[in-house]
Amino acid sequence: MKVRFLIILNKLITNVLKLMGKNASVFPASIILPFDKNILEKVKYPSVVIGITGSSGKGSSTKILANILKQNGKKVVWNKSGSNVKNAITTLILNNTSIISKKIKGDILLLELDEAYLSKTFKKGMLTHLVVTNITRDQPPRNYTPENILNKIINSVDERTHIIINSDDVLVNRFTLKHSGKITTFGLDKSKYSIDKQSYKSLDGAYCPVCSKKLIYSYYYYGHLGSYQCNNCNYKRCIDVLGTNIDLDKKEIKINNKKVKIPGNVIFDAYNTLSAYTAALVLGLNDEEIVIDYKESQEKSLKLDNRDVYLVESKNENNISHLLGLHTINSYKETKTLILGFDHVSKRHVHNDLSWLYDIDYTELDMESIDKIFIVGKFRFDLKNCLLNNNINYNKIILVDDESNLTNLIKENSSGAIFVTVCENMIEMTYSLTKFFNNIRKGDNNES
Amino acid sequence: MKVKIAHLYYDLLNLYGEHANITALVNAFNKKDIKTEVDLLTVDDKKDLDKYDFIYIGSGSKENLIIALNDLIKEKEPIKKIIKNNTYLLSTGNSRILFGKYFELNKEKIEALNIFDYYSEESNQIVGESLMNLKEVGNIIGFQNRGTIIKQKDNHLFKVIKGHGNNINSTNEGYRENNFISTYLLGPILIRNPHLTEMIVNDIIKSNE
Repeated sequence: MKVRFLIILNKLITNVLKLMGKNASVFPASIILPFDKNILEKVKYPSVVIGITGSSGKGSSTKILANILKQNGKKVVWNKSGSNVKNAITTLILNNTSIISKKIKGDILLLELDEAYLSKTFKKGMLTHLVVTNITRDQPPRNYTPENILNKIINSVDERTHIIINSDDVLVNRFTLKHSGKITTFGLDKSKYSIDKQSYKSLDGAYCPVCSKKLIYSYYYYGHLGSYQCNNCNYKRCIDVLGTNIDLDKKEIKINNKKVKIPGNVIFDAYNTLSAYTAALVLGLNDEEIVIDYKESQEKSLKLDNRDVYLVESKNENNISHLLGLHTINSYKETKTLILGFDHVSKRHVHNDLSWLYDIDYTELDMESIDKIFIVGKFRFDLKNCLLNNNINYNKIILVDDESNLTNLIKENSSGAIFVTVCENMIEMTYSLTKFFNNIRKGDNNES
Repeated sequence: MKVKIAHLYYDLLNLYGEHANITALVNAFNKKDIKTEVDLLTVDDKKDLDKYDFIYIGSGSKENLIIALNDLIKEKEPIKKIIKNNTYLLSTGNSRILFGKYFELNKEKIEALNIFDYYSEESNQIVGESLMNLKEVGNIIGFQNRGTIIKQKDNHLFKVIKGHGNNINSTNEGYRENNFISTYLLGPILIRNPHLTEMIVNDIIKSNE
């Protein structure tokens, strides 16, 4: 009776919040869970409960997999809002649970899950499948080390959960040593986008988890992701589902010898698609049934006068994410201007640790085609210091103390296409850019 | 004059952008028209520690600390010798626990290098910005993110103005003996504290004259 009451209460709070125009994806469970912190153990689950977790790519992989499953007639309950902590998961599940039968109303429950709080959300055995996309340096004040997060994930499941892992990630591949249940692995083949030598200085998991000797890579994609092996004990990645013929320009890869579209032109897109495809195979779909199609964005391209403006999304406190952002910028060979900066280090904690900035190889910006680099936001002095430490030309850097004048500064002092690095949740994290974007989106490029 | 710098366990103890400390030092010497040579050293490399003017070791994950320790133990006597000879050895973040008598790891007691008399125990997470004072150069800023405390009686490096000391509430932080400097402050402290870098650079220049 109590469970049914809480399901009703959860639905009621959600609907009231929606009527008030408020975000209803997280708050309802903060009322429900104090009544019964174990309520998630008291509802009836479908036969497939699949989680997707990792430092990055979990939201995109979840979305791709949800679409594949829906196209195959499955009723999928999934957290499309991207809220992935326990309160959000509880709210979602109770909103999709029948009051009478206490059954979740779907064939498949598919959840993007926060990597740090997996065990606090689900007890061991509740997930039938878990996809792990990657584990990289991410939010150190919250997560400590990548190994710490990896161990949390490993310890949150047991042999009842079928693990689907990105074996290109040398840390994630440690599941093969520690998980006694079923494991399916995926990875990317060597391509023109892989590199033989890694200039990135701070690799994680550089030593063999079996014998502690240094691992040898035959190629890298980014950070510690690539193809590796230990020449001492022969530990290496073993791939069940291999992504081949990667063509980022055409936005496609091949999986099981079949051309598959990917949503964008960065290597993350290939990994996210491959993870969803592999999960779909594990869930019993065959290659013919797995159809991936993306609608091209209809959003109007941004312009400042006649100059193209490109947004490059990067995640703060995640050096790999920023590094890939720099790769995207570098792939544009014409004259360009950059806008860097942020006003909050994190949306999840209050600490202002900036050490991760120094794990980003900003020497990549030491290129002729970059005309000017504008630095905005509360941490602009730190960022400038970081660029100078990477020997970026002092004369190219312009600190923006008055962000309301940014548009004019750019127009008067720079040339070429404009690349803006923005954090997830752009306005909250980089409010210095709000007026700049408002001007551009309105098509009114003059500040007043 | 050419200044020789060693980055010890660059591929294991590098958790917080710490290679930037090496860049900061190189840039500071270059500004004075002094050449530098940087050696990246790791497990199984021949170390020859006494040939360097400055040796740096940074933070790492628990497992990487153990891999480094198992190699560094072979360098115990050379390290004692270079400390006696006033060579600069900077240890930041949790690498400082390697130089004491022992440290705890997952509740197990691990014998460390036993060069100094201090020891380390596991603690709840200690995280946040810190403001310290070093008598020669003034205030030092930094960040801490650790799960250990250090119990030490003397040879403190910093006075704590804001943040945490060796133990959570202690008013001292770090360890100093001759030019061995260790602090829980992590990451690019030589970037964030150019006056500290300048002190080290000037000392090294003086000792080479």
